[in-house]
Amino acid sequence: MEEFTREIYWNVGHGFMTLAPMYLLFIAAMVVLIRGFLERIQVYRLGQPVNRMDNWQARLVDAMRMIFMQLKVARVRRPGMWHAIFFWSFFLLFIGTTLIVLQADFTNLLWGYKFLKGGLYKIFSLVLDLAGLAAIVMLGMLAFRRYFNPPEGLDTKKDDAIMHILLMAILLSGFIIEGARMAATEMNTANKFWSPVGYIFALLFSGLGEGGQLATHRVVWWLHLLMVMGFFMLIPHTKFRHIINTSFNYFFADRGPKGKLVNINLEQEDIEKFGATEVADFTWKDIFDGDACTLCNRCQERCPAYNTGKPLSPKKVVNQISEAAFNTPDASLIELIGKDALWSCTTCRACQEICPASIEHVKKIVDLRRSLVLMEGEFPGDEVMTAMEQTEVNGNPLGMGYAGRGDWAKDLDVAVLEKNADVDVLYFVGCYASFDKRNIAVAKSFIALCKAAGVNVGILGKEEKCCGEPMRKMGNEYLYQSLANENIEMMKTYGVKKIVTACPHCFNTLSKDYRDMGFDIPVEHSTVFLANLLASGKLRVKADGLNCTYHDSCYLGRHNDIYDAPRILLQAAGATMKEMAKNKDEGFCCSAGGGRIMAEEKLGERINIHRVKMAAETGAETLVSNCPFCLTMFEDGIKGAGFEGSMKPRDITEILAERLVA
Amino acid sequence: MGERLEEYSMKILVCIKQVPDMESKFKVAADGAWYDTSELAWRMNEYDEYAVEQAVQLREKEKDAELTVLTIGGDKAIEPLKKALAMGCDRAVHVVDNESFKKEPYQIAGIIAEFAKDKGFDIVFTGMQSQDRGSAQVGILVAEMLGIPSISTIVGFAYAGGAIEVKRELEGGVKAKVSAKLPALVTCQLGLNTPRYPTLPNIMKAKKKPLDTLAVADLLKVDARQSTEKMFFPEKKGGGMILEGDVPALVDKLIAILKEKTSVLK
Repeated sequence: MEEFTREIYWNVGHGFMTLAPMYLLFIAAMVVLIRGFLERIQVYRLGQPVNRMDNWQARLVDAMRMIFMQLKVARVRRPGMWHAIFFWSFFLLFIGTTLIVLQADFTNLLWGYKFLKGGLYKIFSLVLDLAGLAAIVMLGMLAFRRYFNPPEGLDTKKDDAIMHILLMAILLSGFIIEGARMAATEMNTANKFWSPVGYIFALLFSGLGEGGQLATHRVVWWLHLLMVMGFFMLIPHTKFRHIINTSFNYFFADRGPKGKLVNINLEQEDIEKFGATEVADFTWKDIFDGDACTLCNRCQERCPAYNTGKPLSPKKVVNQISEAAFNTPDASLIELIGKDALWSCTTCRACQEICPASIEHVKKIVDLRRSLVLMEGEFPGDEVMTAMEQTEVNGNPLGMGYAGRGDWAKDLDVAVLEKNADVDVLYFVGCYASFDKRNIAVAKSFIALCKAAGVNVGILGKEEKCCGEPMRKMGNEYLYQSLANENIEMMKTYGVKKIVTACPHCFNTLSKDYRDMGFDIPVEHSTVFLANLLASGKLRVKADGLNCTYHDSCYLGRHNDIYDAPRILLQAAGATMKEMAKNKDEGFCCSAGGGRIMAEEKLGERINIHRVKMAAETGAETLVSNCPFCLTMFEDGIKGAGFEGSMKPRDITEILAERLVA
Repeated sequence: MGERLEEYSMKILVCIKQVPDMESKFKVAADGAWYDTSELAWRMNEYDEYAVEQAVQLREKEKDAELTVLTIGGDKAIEPLKKALAMGCDRAVHVVDNESFKKEPYQIAGIIAEFAKDKGFDIVFTGMQSQDRGSAQVGILVAEMLGIPSISTIVGFAYAGGAIEVKRELEGGVKAKVSAKLPALVTCQLGLNTPRYPTLPNIMKAKKKPLDTLAVADLLKVDARQSTEKMFFPEKKGGGMILEGDVPALVDKLIAILKEKTSVLK
């Protein structure tokens, strides 16, 4: 009975004359690879320290999942799956090669033990054969996409050509070696059936004669080896480095809470610089991020600013920082990136959420904004400076007298904590729902729902201040912290047990950012709070036809992963929901995040009109949202887009309040 | 020994006032002569912000200049002083007076002049008027008391070689260019500049700048010449009208109203 196996180093020799040059080459390749990364590490070290080794076991588990399950990569279906299949195939080939090395140069060489034989060899042979085929096909599809059918904005550089040509050459040469060897040794054995692709190549070489087959095999074997060593050497010097950097970036990833910024220490009086203007002001992770970036373009494709003709591309920002780190570390990043680009960000997190490399785009932009605001007193426009000053004076960016903050609730019989702090829930109203006529309707609806559900709810009234979110995202850390401190002290004074807010910006800030300032009262967004009241039977609403689409606000959606509660509420309200093409974690910003609610949108197309048009495409009569900024932008956008007769923006709270069972 | 050149350093004074934010809900106080100060948000008088900004710009240009900011008011009046220091003033003077609102412009000017008379200020900046009292007298009176020229409502400012050249905005869109030799006083009007937003390092530095506290009794040497008898909201007469409906119908309505109630279409 014939044995299923093959002779390793067949035709190239087992001796010193093969192993010595092979291992010398391997050592040289490793030296180049390691030195390449050591050089890059020197540059990462230009950045400030930040601890990304905490909780390392969990980091490791998550990194392994991201790498081996290609979870983030495969989120964009087609190219993502092509990459994933290519990765898995290439990884199998890597394992296969390792097994060969293990047997030929260790177990067999040292102890005369071979394991690549029999049943195992059959599987080994078939798996590697098919993996090689899959890798070639996937690489071909990726190459076709990149070179013949590229999506808008995809950067194709020299590195991409090097990677495509080298990988394809390595894969094809592997099959040529196999084909030549099989042509010479396996045409009359059953072995060939366990290498179907190799067999096809063998058929190509069958007419070559044994001399030609042996010569081809030997030459291509050495060529293949050289190319693989070349691949190792190129890893740190081309985009191949994403294999290392992106993998490590999964390990070093920000572990949340999502979108929480790092507090600047304002107590420490010897700090003379706040925010970032140059590479050295960033952390090493911010520089590392650029090396982890594969220029896949997913962030740019989703950026609301980029998509409406503004000079911001998250991809570009990330790479400009790391390019500066490597080439011009003293350069002003604000000049390099451009103020207009920095001010255009709505901190919607679409870039960060989709990034297959776990890059942190938003904090970099806020770091740069911080220096503009805190060091230069600069803002995107005078209107923003005015809003900041008004917030300093009256605690709200609208410039309304602070004393009137609770006026909306005057006739509603709502407890004001100053007079009666014995409440179950504090409704943190926020500036828009307190002062903006359109959003006061939302606040009133929320109170109506609470009363119907028997919730004992109170407000701070004139003692409440802006949560500070728009100011913080705009870079004004100083104003944010003073607002936060005042709010926290006030809520602690009254012994508040639970807070509900109908504004996702307040919610995100109170539930995450305030946690860094000694604030630990539980906070819920109204949609979750109401969904729980509904589930417990305390809140009863009647289903009454509603032809709507639902807009996931960035701060309830991507920043807090709350996608179901609002949809459950709408279902209870009897809504016929038509999802927009971009929904949930792919939702498109309304334009007002990142403090842009305070700014005029002067560049490009208006983001809110862009979004309103997407809503109109569903044919829905009502555009439901869950955020005062969204509602404000949609009121405006619907008028701007000329849909006044056909679509109305509503807050989810209003929809429910209208359907209360009496 | 050679002659020692005495270094000339310019002394600048800017006078500011803390006023309620105009978005506040005003109520007449119990005595009926001033507004009730509860539930008001306070800030630096808008015109004084232009004055501070211009003073700081001048101070930044003139080597060795010293810029003093002065206010008269109660304890909380320290807040706008801090802001002025953060904007770039060198030192602050707080004339503590919990009843400053009861003093009429002549007295306020008297306090400032008494403070400034022997300090040798080369130039004094004030706001054109305060947003709450709006007398527009204090700056002018200070100049008169100090015996220096004053130029009111400036919207442009330049300094060179011991003299200033300013722009004044007149009615009908006309502007005037006025010059004066220092010492002089100017009162600042909207349009002069855009006041800066204090940077964080400057806010920090401001905490360490000298802040002198003076008692108003030591500076008040003049008597009041006028008194506010009564403060009241105007009686409601007529009021706004909001027309709603389709545009063509709106136009007809508007024309009818204009014909009926005004003379513009006659």
